Amino acid sequence: MTQAHAADVVMLEARGVNTWYPNGHHALRNVDLTVHQGEVVVIMGPSGSGKSTFLRTFNGLEDFQTGSIIIDGINIGDDLRQRDAIRREVGMVFQQFNLFPHLTVLDNLTLAPVLVRGRAKTQVERQALELLERVGIHEQAHKYPGQLSGGQQQRVAIARSLCMEPRLMLFDEPTSALDPEMVQEVLQVMQELAAGGMTMVVVTHEVRFARQVADRVVLMADGEVLEIAAPEQFFSNPQHPRSQQFLSQIN
Amino acid sequence: MSSSRHQQLPPQEQLSALETLRLACFANPLDGLISLALISAVLAAAWQLLRWALLQAQWGVIAANSTLLALGRYPEPQRWRLWLLLWLLSTVAGLSWGLLRRQSWPRNDLLATAVLTGLTLWAPAAVAQPLAVQAHWWGLTAWLLLLRSSAGAMAARVPPPVLQCWALLWPVVYVSGMGLIAGGLGLVRVPSPLWGGLLLTLIEACFAMLLCLPLGLALALGRSSGLPLLRMGAVAYIEFIRGAPLITLLFLGQNILGFLLPGGLSPDRIWRAAWVLTVFASAYVAEALRAGLAAIPRGQVEAARSLGLNTAQTLSHVVLPQAIKVALPALVGQFISLLQDTTLLSLIGLMELLGTARTVLANPEFLGRNAEVYVVLALLFWCCCAALGLGSRALEVRLNRQRSVAVR
Repeated sequence: MTQAHAADVVMLEARGVNTWYPNGHHALRNVDLTVHQGEVVVIMGPSGSGKSTFLRTFNGLEDFQTGSIIIDGINIGDDLRQRDAIRREVGMVFQQFNLFPHLTVLDNLTLAPVLVRGRAKTQVERQALELLERVGIHEQAHKYPGQLSGGQQQRVAIARSLCMEPRLMLFDEPTSALDPEMVQEVLQVMQELAAGGMTMVVVTHEVRFARQVADRVVLMADGEVLEIAAPEQFFSNPQHPRSQQFLSQIN
Repeated sequence: MSSSRHQQLPPQEQLSALETLRLACFANPLDGLISLALISAVLAAAWQLLRWALLQAQWGVIAANSTLLALGRYPEPQRWRLWLLLWLLSTVAGLSWGLLRRQSWPRNDLLATAVLTGLTLWAPAAVAQPLAVQAHWWGLTAWLLLLRSSAGAMAARVPPPVLQCWALLWPVVYVSGMGLIAGGLGLVRVPSPLWGGLLLTLIEACFAMLLCLPLGLALALGRSSGLPLLRMGAVAYIEFIRGAPLITLLFLGQNILGFLLPGGLSPDRIWRAAWVLTVFASAYVAEALRAGLAAIPRGQVEAARSLGLNTAQTLSHVVLPQAIKVALPALVGQFISLLQDTTLLSLIGLMELLGTARTVLANPEFLGRNAEVYVVLALLFWCCCAALGLGSRALEVRLNRQRSVAVR
């Protein structure tokens, strides 16, 4: 889509990342990825290909043993303070929403900015209500997550991450746990977010979203990155045999 | 909740009360037989009990010893302090009750109010207290109920932080209550051997209830910690305590704590026993809390961490509020058995409720009045446990309000 990103500032750089699970499984094999500021990268691949694991290494939810990951100039290492610093700048949206069920929607949004950034609650609340309006659920601000539909919960989860004003957003199969009629409302919010210039890495099976929104599509299989291409090329003329196989399976 | 959505109600048969009873108890010959047998057994037992209570029992023993059973040998001139404590308790209890229930008066509350009012009107008169003392009790109950309804009416306007910190008021009440009971700071000291009866039972039980929570929490966190030494220590503690009968620990405590602590610090018998109860209960509380912690999905921690919350913030704002809610019924069960376990203290010579009752029964004047005394003891314990149960039920309902399901 957009060819010239904001002076091609690198937001995320992963080099030669290797992850072994405690049971010895080699989950990530020497994977590289560079994401520029304002870019939307969609990671696709069959289940068990390591795409979620890869995404989760970006904010330290998953460990890796060799290689390096630099996000917004901060190197994820063993230093826990670095890890906390990265988590403040990186938002994450989960498949299962993971809203805090004991807090109202509004408190879900304000918790982290107040606790972590030390901002005034009234000021954060104003911003939170604006964000909820942006994702179309401001009337539900004082309800509890259990009273919302799946699609609404996922939109709250996106707003909750945005309330920390992240520089990078990670989406881990954000529509996979949703009923089909609710998928579109969440993708709509993500599309608007991308149009607003947010840097995003999205693990998803939604081909239409990848086609319309992604700048680049990454295909992973068996813990390896097999192909990185612009969506038009990836979907019409995939290069790697595994890509061809994957696309024929999902179509 | 959803009644507005249901335009059409499900078909309902209108049954008379008699018909409902017939269906519930005598639907077929076998049901009828079982019901008849049960009803006659209950009626026979109730008849015998009533006959005993009204005709045979000599309740004079209770009237003559009511103060001893309530307070032990707490000196007469200092008893105004206990009245003051009762007013404090009635104030905090009334406010807490109102804040929990708001303006709703569920059936449990109505029942509790009726029982409380009945007891207040009847019990002091039944044990032949002077009219002034009776009136004092009426005042206490009236004050409690007044605060319950006015706090209930105002609860919606109380700022949430006050509600969140409300539970912390109870330790403050305990400490100030102990100040009133023990004296010091200008008040005449009343040494602990003079405390007794229900007063001592409650002192011991409340001490253990308040302290076993933080201790149990530390153990539960230790047990699920990543540090092997901490984990093994917590496991060893919990398994050792849970494997030993409380009575052996109580005897052990009387002997060991004296050696472990330097002379001046060694607490007297009453506090040694209270610490043993605390240590004992904390192992069980730890297990209840661990079950609560285990019930919280991993995604909750991941979401909190990915928002930048550190470990302590994740624990205090995300994990614990949910875990305690899950563990609450088990915790209250633990508190109820803790209250009843205090009777074991009579075996190490403390004059709590059971110990006092046994001295009363040892008095030649009241020989053979066992049934009367033990029935009253059982009823006293039942009242305390019922209050605990009602309180926890109310707390559960309030904590559950975020569920989408209507809570009755």
